[in-house]
Amino acid sequence: MAFNPLEQKGVPVDDQLRSWSELNVEPYDKKAVDPYTRTRVILMNGTEVESINFSHQFARHTDNLDLKRKLAMGRRIDQQQQKAVNGLNPGDQTPLETTLGYEQVAVDLTAWLARHEPDPQLKMALDFALLEDFDHLYRYANLYELLYGGRADAITDHLTEVMPGRPTFVEHRHPYDDVRPHYETHTVDPLSRLHVMTIVSGEQQTMNFYMNHGTDWIEPIARGLYAEIAMIEEQHVTHYESLLDPLDSWIANWVFHEYNEVYLYWSMLQNETDDRIKALWELHCNMEIGQLQVACDAMRQYEGREPADLLPPSLPEVPVTFEPNKAYVRDLLAATVDLRADGIQYVELDDLPKDHRYFRYQDTVNKGGAPSEMVIDQARESQGEYRDETDGEHPIADLRPQTVR
Amino acid sequence: MPILTPTAATGARSVPQEMTYVDPVHQVMPDERDEFLAETDLNGPFVADLLSDMLAHERCGAQLYRSLAGRTNSPILGKKYEHFGKETTEHVEILQQLVGRLGGDPMYVSPAARATTKAGTGLLESTFLLTGSVDLMTQELVMLDAVLLAEAKDHANWSCLASLADSLPEGNVRTAFVEAVEHVEPQEDEHFGWASDMRCKLISAQATSRTMQVAGETAEKVIARIKRWLG
Repeated sequence: MAFNPLEQKGVPVDDQLRSWSELNVEPYDKKAVDPYTRTRVILMNGTEVESINFSHQFARHTDNLDLKRKLAMGRRIDQQQQKAVNGLNPGDQTPLETTLGYEQVAVDLTAWLARHEPDPQLKMALDFALLEDFDHLYRYANLYELLYGGRADAITDHLTEVMPGRPTFVEHRHPYDDVRPHYETHTVDPLSRLHVMTIVSGEQQTMNFYMNHGTDWIEPIARGLYAEIAMIEEQHVTHYESLLDPLDSWIANWVFHEYNEVYLYWSMLQNETDDRIKALWELHCNMEIGQLQVACDAMRQYEGREPADLLPPSLPEVPVTFEPNKAYVRDLLAATVDLRADGIQYVELDDLPKDHRYFRYQDTVNKGGAPSEMVIDQARESQGEYRDETDGEHPIADLRPQTVR
Repeated sequence: MPILTPTAATGARSVPQEMTYVDPVHQVMPDERDEFLAETDLNGPFVADLLSDMLAHERCGAQLYRSLAGRTNSPILGKKYEHFGKETTEHVEILQQLVGRLGGDPMYVSPAARATTKAGTGLLESTFLLTGSVDLMTQELVMLDAVLLAEAKDHANWSCLASLADSLPEGNVRTAFVEAVEHVEPQEDEHFGWASDMRCKLISAQATSRTMQVAGETAEKVIARIKRWLG
């Protein structure tokens, strides 16, 4: 049945504040949790962080007291929601285990969005970065086994395969080659707008997490790997945020943020297997509806626009869903592993001119070796390379397991 | 029916540019643009872009008036904004019909229309993003400034269209242009004239009268007190 957030009552913003005890939620059991519950927690934490950061930026561009107060109120509630969501992560889940969860989000969220993306160019953007995040999971999985003897499938539960993607060391490209053309805001499919906003939130949160947790280790290999992959996440945020049309006003962006939050909480609610956490998604969905109403009122008041003219008549019928995407990723790997970026285009590696800035950038940053390769070399020399290839051998012959050199 | 916000749902279409990607299903193809007004001596693709640009400006204008009518503290200005807003919304409809009569797509959003929308958005935002750093009298002037600037371009657009219509040979195309211009141009004259005169009156009243200073300060105090009561 069509769900139109504009027709829902929701929870009024004035009734949304919660006590510390309500925010200090009981974490899930990391051994018993459904891996996709963990990914939902990670995604919704990132969604709240994006909402908060956007609101701060908006607030810094206005001194309208009414707007600043409404933004401040919404932000405080978003902060409370962020605490309630992120607090579900247990203290005995190490930063590296959380990282494996982040990469599972990156793989299965990106793949799902790409599979459902109606716009071929935006699908291409998702596919391109998907293979890079897929490789990160493999590198971190090997770090996990190397440092702790842990197996990544304890986190992923074999729902996401672990094997090389587009190798991380070749992902480093000149910043000019991460900038993409954007969709056109009048003509864009509403689903595409939601997809782009969602992936920007997810990738940005991943970037922030690695930026802050890269120094949690003593071991140089771990610190180096986090630094290297954090830089790819910077590339991905640049890549994805450039897909957003800069024509939209501050208030329109506010409305779109709230709408996307409703869509995402509604989506999480549809698939959640843990009743306690499901109740949290439901509560937050209703809270976001209340926050959306505030943004919509601001649009009417200040922009003279009716939000219904701008928004789709209902949420997309299909909720954003975490599920295995193994065949999709394998096919994509086989077809596009050698793609690179040349300006705003995607090209085959062989089609890049020999003097392209890509090669100069590669020579600079990979001089002395890349931690993402070192971690695999060390793993091979230590306990052996970790992979979780559940659906057969790797689709690319050159990326199949090698014996220890 | 006037469409104030073209979207994919209302059939919006555009053309890709270096940094603007448009899904092929929503693209206006080059041959379609070439065919527009092909039976005339006009530069069809340019005129299609121009009319889309004018439509974008009228759409922004309608939103500007709707916003200002609800936010001005002056009932006199509020009534005027409401009245002009209705007429501007009619202009959207007239332009949509004109484009349709000429064989074009009223939902086409040209690159020029995008640029105009950005300007219109900025103009509208100038009336509310900085309200905390201006007093009430200045705020009224800021809103009137936005109207004047918007109407200046609007007026120029329709004057230009009138000249274009005059230059056309007799026929359906000319008739379509002339009928639109004849309906709208007098109203644009009035809008622009009123905005110029009213702005001048407000400025003169404040510049030449100490009483206005006291009145302005009193009004500020009264409104501040009401706001405190309302929390």
